[in-house]
Amino acid sequence: MTDAVTGYMRAKTRRGRLNELTKHAFVLAVLVFSFYPLYMMLNISFKTNKQFYHQPWWPTWPMYPANYSLGWETVGAAIPNTIYLAVMQTMGVLAVALLASYVFARYRLPGHNLFWSALMILLMMPGVANMVPLFTLLRSLGLLNSYTGLIVPAIAGGQVFNIFILRNYLEDTPEELFEAAEMDGAGALRQIWNIVIPMNGSVLATLACLSFIGGWNDFLLPLLIMRDPARLPIAVSLYRLEGAYVREWGPTMAAYAISAIPMIILFIFTMRFFIRGVAAGALKG
Amino acid sequence: MKVITFRQLRHRWRLYLLVLPAIALVCTFSYFPAATAVFRSFYRWDGDEISEYIGLENFYRALTDPVLGHSFYLVMILILSNFIKMIPSIITAVVIHRIASERGRYLYRVLFVIPMIIPGMVALLIWKYFYDPTVGVLNGLLNSTGLMALLQHVDDWFGWRVFVENANPAWLGHPKLIIPSLIFWGFPWVGVVGVLLYLAGLGNIEQDIYDAAEIDGCGWLRKFWNIELPLILTQIRLNLILMIIGTLQGWGLIFILLGDSGGPAGVGMVPGLYMFRKAFRESEAGYACGIGLLLFFLTLALTVINNRYVRVKK
Repeated sequence: MTDAVTGYMRAKTRRGRLNELTKHAFVLAVLVFSFYPLYMMLNISFKTNKQFYHQPWWPTWPMYPANYSLGWETVGAAIPNTIYLAVMQTMGVLAVALLASYVFARYRLPGHNLFWSALMILLMMPGVANMVPLFTLLRSLGLLNSYTGLIVPAIAGGQVFNIFILRNYLEDTPEELFEAAEMDGAGALRQIWNIVIPMNGSVLATLACLSFIGGWNDFLLPLLIMRDPARLPIAVSLYRLEGAYVREWGPTMAAYAISAIPMIILFIFTMRFFIRGVAAGALKG
Repeated sequence: MKVITFRQLRHRWRLYLLVLPAIALVCTFSYFPAATAVFRSFYRWDGDEISEYIGLENFYRALTDPVLGHSFYLVMILILSNFIKMIPSIITAVVIHRIASERGRYLYRVLFVIPMIIPGMVALLIWKYFYDPTVGVLNGLLNSTGLMALLQHVDDWFGWRVFVENANPAWLGHPKLIIPSLIFWGFPWVGVVGVLLYLAGLGNIEQDIYDAAEIDGCGWLRKFWNIELPLILTQIRLNLILMIIGTLQGWGLIFILLGDSGGPAGVGMVPGLYMFRKAFRESEAGYACGIGLLLFFLTLALTVINNRYVRVKK
């Protein structure tokens, strides 16, 4: 190779390396901003009010982990409540959606198009317009201030999205598997249990995650229908905590951090599914 | 895909039982309330006992209501700004995608998911704290970097009377600052799900295409414009529709940041919040249903326009 060519190559890789560095720097800068709220939450959660007013930016010594026990007193009770709500919603949404999407994926029943478009048009319906009648409906069903009144509408609300996604995946399940199962006399429920669920673990895990996160963040409906302060889910408890008159920043931020713990646990176990699931979902979408 | 005819239904009718729960739930909790809302929008209704048929009066009232008019104006501003706020996610995804090392790409993907562990409410409340006039991060940052003095000079020049000396601006308390604060909210506007979706779309690009582009001497901008952008247009369009619907109907954000009055002078009032106020604070549920109906048609119109003009070639 001539000197000119190696020189050219060297210049090119040098430029390439600089290019790579710029990209990393850009992504890191974005990450710093994205992590900033998380950092401030953890940072302030270990401070007394005095330390906070004096030095909010950096960690100060001594740290006060005791803030976390104060924080727990304010939102601790809401955590089991919310876990119950989110788990029930998630299981309900997936169970009901699995049954329906099994049929939509495998069969064309008379009325198929009617049912399908009845579901899909809901994507455009503003939930906000339904708010008032939903409230009166729940009132006349005697479901105000009850967990059923939160869980059942959430299961209904999750159907469209989950059926839409699940149907796409279920259609790709090899038809021979179902036929073999039918030969052995397995009914629809057995087929769902033995074929559909094991073969679509990844997407089911992703949908479960999204549904759980949604349940964990539920705010408006509980705000409207829950009266009993002891039974509030976490988002409403946090909102009320923020409105408190005397502001103790340390314990407040500790309470925020505590409310994220179940999400952290969920994240550790499902992150791989989640990243893969979102990636695959996009290809289908 | 098995087609089941009417004649086969005699043996296969049980399949309907599997669809039934979903349809029943959706009918009870989506269609029935929606029908009630349409029906009630022709009534003066307090959400309870009192109800009286008034024809189209709720709609006349909505069309001339200055508060509602302002709220639609604000929502249009928010849609436009949210449209611009979609760009950082796209850029971030493209930059991550172009990083050469595979491990680096995976690592960044994971890192971007981590902030998602913060529950939505907490993220909002932390931002509310950022905006706090006395102890908030934003004012602290502006003061310590001297940018506040600069803002005061600019203010002097234009005569806004927002940034004055020896007083911290109340980002969520000053009528002139509320809309900018609502737009700035969530900086740097990189959404986790958005980035992951775009990355998934970008993953379809074969290395050959890049090599060919390289030989043709395509610059980074050309590559983005001709190779990368077309491949993620589907995802962008999906996000765009979801964003428009979400912004039009959303009110949780404003409710949490500014309270149910939409902040001082109602500057931050959006249609959803106005509905909520009318229905649950002022006992005018019929009027709220009417506004909801208008909102539905607006959503429908924007979705149809979006489907027609933002077409994606497969």
